Amino acid sequence: MSELGAMRDQWYPVGMTKQLTAQGRDTLLMGEPIRVALAGGAPSVTDGTGRALPVIDRFGHVWTSLGQPEKDLFTIPEVDQPGRRLVDVGVCRVRCSPLRAVENFLDIAHFPFVHTDILGSEPHTEVARYEVEIRDDVDEVWATKVKFFQPQAAKSAEGGITTDYMYRVCAPTCSVLYKTCPPKPGEWDVIALFVQPLTETLCDVWPYMALYDDDAEMTDLIHFQQMIFVQDRSVLENQLPALLPLDPGREIPTRADMTSIAYRRWLKRHGFTYGAQLVAA
Amino acid sequence: MGMMGAACSDPCASAPTPDTGDTVPTDWTPAALSDDIPVASAAPGQLGPHDLAIWRSASGRIAAWADRCPHRGMRLSHGFVRGERLSCIYHGWGYGEGGQCVRIPAHPELTPPEAIRVPVFSVAEASGVIWVAEEAPDSPPPEFPGVVAFRSLQVSAAPEALAAALGGTGTVIETVLGGAQVVALIQPLRDGAAGLHLLAPEGSDPAALDALSAEVEALRRRLEAAEEMTA
Repeated sequence: MSELGAMRDQWYPVGMTKQLTAQGRDTLLMGEPIRVALAGGAPSVTDGTGRALPVIDRFGHVWTSLGQPEKDLFTIPEVDQPGRRLVDVGVCRVRCSPLRAVENFLDIAHFPFVHTDILGSEPHTEVARYEVEIRDDVDEVWATKVKFFQPQAAKSAEGGITTDYMYRVCAPTCSVLYKTCPPKPGEWDVIALFVQPLTETLCDVWPYMALYDDDAEMTDLIHFQQMIFVQDRSVLENQLPALLPLDPGREIPTRADMTSIAYRRWLKRHGFTYGAQLVAA
Repeated sequence: MGMMGAACSDPCASAPTPDTGDTVPTDWTPAALSDDIPVASAAPGQLGPHDLAIWRSASGRIAAWADRCPHRGMRLSHGFVRGERLSCIYHGWGYGEGGQCVRIPAHPELTPPEAIRVPVFSVAEASGVIWVAEEAPDSPPPEFPGVVAFRSLQVSAAPEALAAALGGTGTVIETVLGGAQVVALIQPLRDGAAGLHLLAPEGSDPAALDALSAEVEALRRRLEAAEEMTA
């Protein structure tokens, strides 16, 4: 168990609340077999020995931990604002490190090449300087004043716009992004990435959205986000090494990667190393 | 296109010794057929423990590089070719002559530092075959008069077993297959597999090539079935 390190005592998503059944679903959490079920109308999670694990039901997903989390699961206050549509996108299994999946979510420079003509397009490839900090009071990584030109930023977007972004890493395998909301200027659309670490090189990704969008069909919103993630998967399953390198040496970041650099530093500081590589190979 | 060596009257004399796929051969290793890497395309390859991105520029120049973008580790064999550059599909970093990074799209004004460079392997084309090596061998790869590159396939069997099934030893085997006089080049791959690069007689008609294909696929099935029995 020691190789789980500090990540043992963190919260992880393990399923969608509305998909729970009494019979339950067998899955993995950091290599440990677990069962996620509905027991007496409430979510329950048990490990391979039948031991009950702690459970939180939040953001449409069931959360658990193999250890004893000291902190409550993070919150996303915007989710409670009236008028937002909450979208459980579903699951996307990716053969990659859970940490690589989060890092990709924090990255905008890949938009023109991986999400061509949707989230980005050549020649609009430049990443302007933005701000990144590790906020000690909440112990989160925040990137702000991120701007990027997008041909179709969201399902509700028509034509190209420069989109403003903010990113936060609120748990080792969870991130929330805030982006320009075309139908409601002044507000932010919220898109979260909840990653369930199955093993160090395999994960289930559960995207979740809280949008101001009254027009789009729910299935279209889901399909849009799934399409984006399937495009990301083709990259994530082909990075070498599979584990996220936390020590400098094997990978070369630039100024556009400041969020990724801060994320790696934050992971290392906390000993969040499940899915990471500490010594440059 | 590529390095042209003098025709070799006895190709077997310069045949590289069989390999396990874990060590790097010192002689040329056949890695792909020229026709399988068309202009402005890239594909994955192997040389011993190394993953390769084998790609051809718009002007037809062939190259074999480490299959890993130094930025975020993405496989360059998934990348795209424009002009004389190979670009990574993840962030569009462009690499030119000698594997040197020449463009970082996130910072269009920046001249990439010289240190950002993809390791480059030696490569040469002969008889429609792309040969690779870690260090350039002293002599060019062999030419095979009278035959032309036909097709490549991967076999889940040891190179030695593949050679034996073709009635020979080593990595260059001249034999008769499906009624045709062929040259079979064997490439050691990792995980106990082998690549088979087949050269068929020049001017073969389609029916003869179909027969050759059927024969070599049957040979592969027999070999893989035998491997499964012993596994």
